[in-house]
Amino acid sequence: MKKDSHKQSVQTTGHAWDGDLQEFNNPLPRWWLWGFYGTAVFAVIYWVFFPAWPFGTGFTTGVLNDITYTTADGREVTRHWNTRSLLDKEMAQARSDQQQFLDELKGASYADIRTDQRKSAFAYSMAKVLYADNCAACHQAGGAGKVGMYPNLADDAWLWGGNFARIEETIRDGRNGYMPAFRKSLDETQLAEVTDYVLSLSGHAVDVQAAARGKDIFNGQDGGCHLCHTSEATGMVSLGSANLTDSVWTIADVPGQGDIEGKRRAVREVIEHGVSRQMPGWAGRLNEAEIKILTFYVRELGGGA
Amino acid sequence: MADAAGRAPEQYNYDIVRRFAIMSLVWGVLGMLTGVYLAAELAWPVLNFDIPEITFGRLRPVHTTLVIFGFGGSALFATSYYVVQRTCQARLVSDGLAAFTFWGWQVAIGIAAISYMFGYTQAREYAEMVWPIDLLIAVTWVAYLLVYVGTIRRRTQPHIYVANWFFIAFILATAILHIFNNMEVPVSMFSLKSYSLHAGVQDAMTQWWYGHNAVGFFLTAAFLGMMYYFVPKQAGRPIYSYRLSIIHFWALVFLYMWVGAHHLHWTALPDWTSTLAATFSILLLLPSWGGMINGVMTLSGAWDRLRTDPIMRFLIVALSFYGMSTFEGPMMSLKSVNALSHYTDWTIGHVHSGALGWVAMISFGSLYHLIPRLFNTAIYSKRLIYLHFWLATIGIVIYITAMWVAGIGQGLMLRSFDEYGNLVYTFIETVNFLHLPYMVRTFGGALFVSGVLVMAYNVYMTVRKARQEEAALEAKIAAKMART
Repeated sequence: MKKDSHKQSVQTTGHAWDGDLQEFNNPLPRWWLWGFYGTAVFAVIYWVFFPAWPFGTGFTTGVLNDITYTTADGREVTRHWNTRSLLDKEMAQARSDQQQFLDELKGASYADIRTDQRKSAFAYSMAKVLYADNCAACHQAGGAGKVGMYPNLADDAWLWGGNFARIEETIRDGRNGYMPAFRKSLDETQLAEVTDYVLSLSGHAVDVQAAARGKDIFNGQDGGCHLCHTSEATGMVSLGSANLTDSVWTIADVPGQGDIEGKRRAVREVIEHGVSRQMPGWAGRLNEAEIKILTFYVRELGGGA
Repeated sequence: MADAAGRAPEQYNYDIVRRFAIMSLVWGVLGMLTGVYLAAELAWPVLNFDIPEITFGRLRPVHTTLVIFGFGGSALFATSYYVVQRTCQARLVSDGLAAFTFWGWQVAIGIAAISYMFGYTQAREYAEMVWPIDLLIAVTWVAYLLVYVGTIRRRTQPHIYVANWFFIAFILATAILHIFNNMEVPVSMFSLKSYSLHAGVQDAMTQWWYGHNAVGFFLTAAFLGMMYYFVPKQAGRPIYSYRLSIIHFWALVFLYMWVGAHHLHWTALPDWTSTLAATFSILLLLPSWGGMINGVMTLSGAWDRLRTDPIMRFLIVALSFYGMSTFEGPMMSLKSVNALSHYTDWTIGHVHSGALGWVAMISFGSLYHLIPRLFNTAIYSKRLIYLHFWLATIGIVIYITAMWVAGIGQGLMLRSFDEYGNLVYTFIETVNFLHLPYMVRTFGGALFVSGVLVMAYNVYMTVRKARQEEAALEAKIAAKMART
């Protein structure tokens, strides 16, 4: 109450609006005023050190003249504080910090990278970002791919070969996966028979007689499937033709179907319509060191050969 | 003079105030429901349902336009027309022109919201309206200025009350901002598309000069005008310091104009522009607080009112959030802090602590003060005001906290490097991280909206009660007259 009576002793400005609206004429709170002066001092100090006020065609650059870095063409320069030079400096610094690791990786074999703790740790660190930027959009964050669209990189089945040399080639030059459509060259019965044969290869219970007839089509003139998939149906790495005996499905979503009829539809769909898919080559976008690191990483995701 | 029902015409034009007040609530409910839906879409993208009209990109400007211009704008029209008449003791200079501002504003907002959903936007944040709507708004705004200044010229006492300074500053600055940011050349007479007159970094600079001053003059100065009337009125006490109000008014309107460029740190904008914007933002801190001090200190000595008056609670919590977000803002405008906060949800959290905490709360308080007086009755339920208060306050706190976690967390993830200088997190990992705070934010927003729905119900019942009371009174008078 004491405080309040003190307040009341302050004079109002003597005006009243809308009946009872009045104003006291209290002085500015001291902490407020000094706070305001404080921010002004802060601002002036800031202006002294950083680019701040325009004049003529230029501006005050500030007294900080401490950004020293090496430009892309190898000159060492010192500039006043500015965001462009700051970026150049940090990028140059980051590049030079990584250079020693990249140099070490350049001469190293894949086996060497795998066994050398220092090299493999760096490769994993860098590959994670490279993979996320370049590969994850199709092959997914963990490398699981999408059945029917993008192959799984996290298993040990490789359409185009899973050794380092093949994977490096895949990344650098890309791949074209192609299988012709058979809906015109095979009739309804033949399509059903080939479908049953293909499913029988991975141990599915199908019509044995139909599968036997399907095998003849697979290996004969009408189908000619063996030309790419081989007569053992194990596929060819040189063509990227799938191994049909390993229960790994990259296009027909056989494991995703509940019953045998669904599985038949999935396989038959591929035979009828064929396959045409492409992975672009990354040679123009990634440098040799990056391709090497990615190759190592992708190979380690799945393993196998 | 008496109208057909035998009543004397009102001393003031309350009809226009009533209309804007009701529309403020209508747009508020629609805009905030849209906001909650958008928050849910971010947490569960499937809610797009692959319908282009309700995808995030199209619905987002619907939300911002409905809440800022629909809810906030209509609340400002309502309160400014009320305040100017009562503090000048003069009726609005022209009822016709005032009605024109009502229809012009409502039509502009309605068309704008629909046009965004169908993909018509000029892609300038908070100024997405295509050029014909820009023109409609410009004409409406000039009419607003004429009504306002004309009414002030009719005042019966020499001094202009402080709330009116803020409203005039808001009307003038908004006119300038709107016109300069929307200078554009339509592709053809019959095309809704247009090209901006500015290009490149100048265009970005103009846009954010507009954008931040929309915050400064529309969402701050104008609502301070609201505060300067409704806080002393509701508290029944004089304003704390006339001197402070003068100093902080001029400092505020002068400094705000410089700071827009702090939205463009670390971009193609020249560094000196960036520095000036950052330092003027710091300079703005205390002038902003001047309004908070004047509001809070006005209540000093009457704190017990907070126990019994839910409206006072809205006003005080609004001032607290105003103080908090005007502290947070200058901090975020520093280049080093901005490097972390920009492009993250920290910005969204900051905006909402201002928009929900300050703008919406001060509007709710003012409207609760206004509605019973406009309809000449008591509020339907005081308990529902308390309920609204708690739903809103808890909702805001949950909302802002979730956004701090989301924003600072994502900011830190995006800039963390391992010992080899490679990024620790991929972008998708930061997106996964956001899922939880996004769900919490949706919940906080839903609480806030449920409070607004409680208010809408309370106001609807109050208006209905007023109608019934009026009908009963008229019946009584008619009966009495029949007897004599």
